[in-house]
Amino acid sequence: MKRVLVVDDSIAVARQLEKIVNSDEEFEVVAQGRNGAEAIKLCQQHKPDILCMDMNMPVMDGLTALRNLMQIIPDLKVIMVTSLGGVGDKYTEAIRLGAKDVISKPFEKDNVLEMLKRL
Amino acid sequence: MAVKFFGHFLVEKGLVSRKDILQAIDLQEKTNLKFGEMVVEMGLMTAVDVDRVHLAQRNENLHFGDMAVKLRIITEEQVQQVLIRQRNNHLYIGEALIMVGALTEKQLKTYLNAFKKDQQSYISEKVEIKDEIPHKPIWEMVADLTYKMLTRVAGISFCPGPCSMVEKLPARPVVAEMRFSGAVKASYLLSVSETTRNLIAKAILDEDSVEEEPIEILDDSVKEFVNIVCGNIAAKAAQLGHNIDIIPPEIREGGAAGVNIPPNHFGLMFPIHQSDSEGFELTIFIPKG
Repeated sequence: MKRVLVVDDSIAVARQLEKIVNSDEEFEVVAQGRNGAEAIKLCQQHKPDILCMDMNMPVMDGLTALRNLMQIIPDLKVIMVTSLGGVGDKYTEAIRLGAKDVISKPFEKDNVLEMLKRL
Repeated sequence: MAVKFFGHFLVEKGLVSRKDILQAIDLQEKTNLKFGEMVVEMGLMTAVDVDRVHLAQRNENLHFGDMAVKLRIITEEQVQQVLIRQRNNHLYIGEALIMVGALTEKQLKTYLNAFKKDQQSYISEKVEIKDEIPHKPIWEMVADLTYKMLTRVAGISFCPGPCSMVEKLPARPVVAEMRFSGAVKASYLLSVSETTRNLIAKAILDEDSVEEEPIEILDDSVKEFVNIVCGNIAAKAAQLGHNIDIIPPEIREGGAAGVNIPPNHFGLMFPIHQSDSEGFELTIFIPKG
């Protein structure tokens, strides 16, 4: 079973993502975080296989956290979850920094699971 | 389902790899010269002239070409020559993907058609706004995209009312606000009743009932809805050549008493009438001048 960490400042989105991820027996959400700084801390603590992280968050945004995480845990598989996926510059930056993919909000269950299975 | 650019659509569908898209973007960046690079390549300006323009742009918000004309380095006619050269030499992402061997011409045609179909629902329709408002096409797109997202994401049936200028927002229990920075500055506010908030929460949480949910979660759902709409607005604005940055949305204090439009701002309100409740409003605070 692959261990997934979900990080989003919106409790509503984090809950929805957790529900989707846990609906497939191949995956299990191990923890939730609310900002980029928490993402770094929780990755070191829980050592997840996959991180699903929002781009636009307070305290530390997702792209800054991604940049730091790729230096600390280069093998971590990161999927950015964002309403800004359609902004070409943000998308390119996420992919260049090492994100495996970008899920655009609003997302659909099948698309999220398909993307996780492709990793 | 969201506003996307073509490359993102292809990767999301697994039609090209992440490596392919990065190679194609690198090729685009080498080929698609910025105005300041193109003008030097065409021999119309020197690198020293370019630095002068950049320095002047720090003090005045003008496009590179307009500033170069103002400083009398090049003429209006030369600006047009550079723009035409930029347009003629522009390498699109689909062409770049063919050049790096990730797609064939036949595949590009097929995938472009699929992409157009996917994005069809986000093509803007006409919303009427007075001419005196700066960045009028942007606000028309903002209202139109909000209406589309209300239908597709929140599943709300409504009838949009005519846009008007207001001094104060009507009292509503929940007002979610998202600030726009970057080239286009404004605040996006969605003021909703408890009924509408619960409808949005049901859609965002994907639950049949939200009666037992704490208010914090219900308000958070409205914030998230605003985040989704504004992220898609930023994407659409980028397609139109405007840079909009967004920061996480917040619930505005004092919404129940009605929010005043800040000084030196226009308050552009789009009423949204629902069939079975009191309706709600989208308002945009736009700086004057």
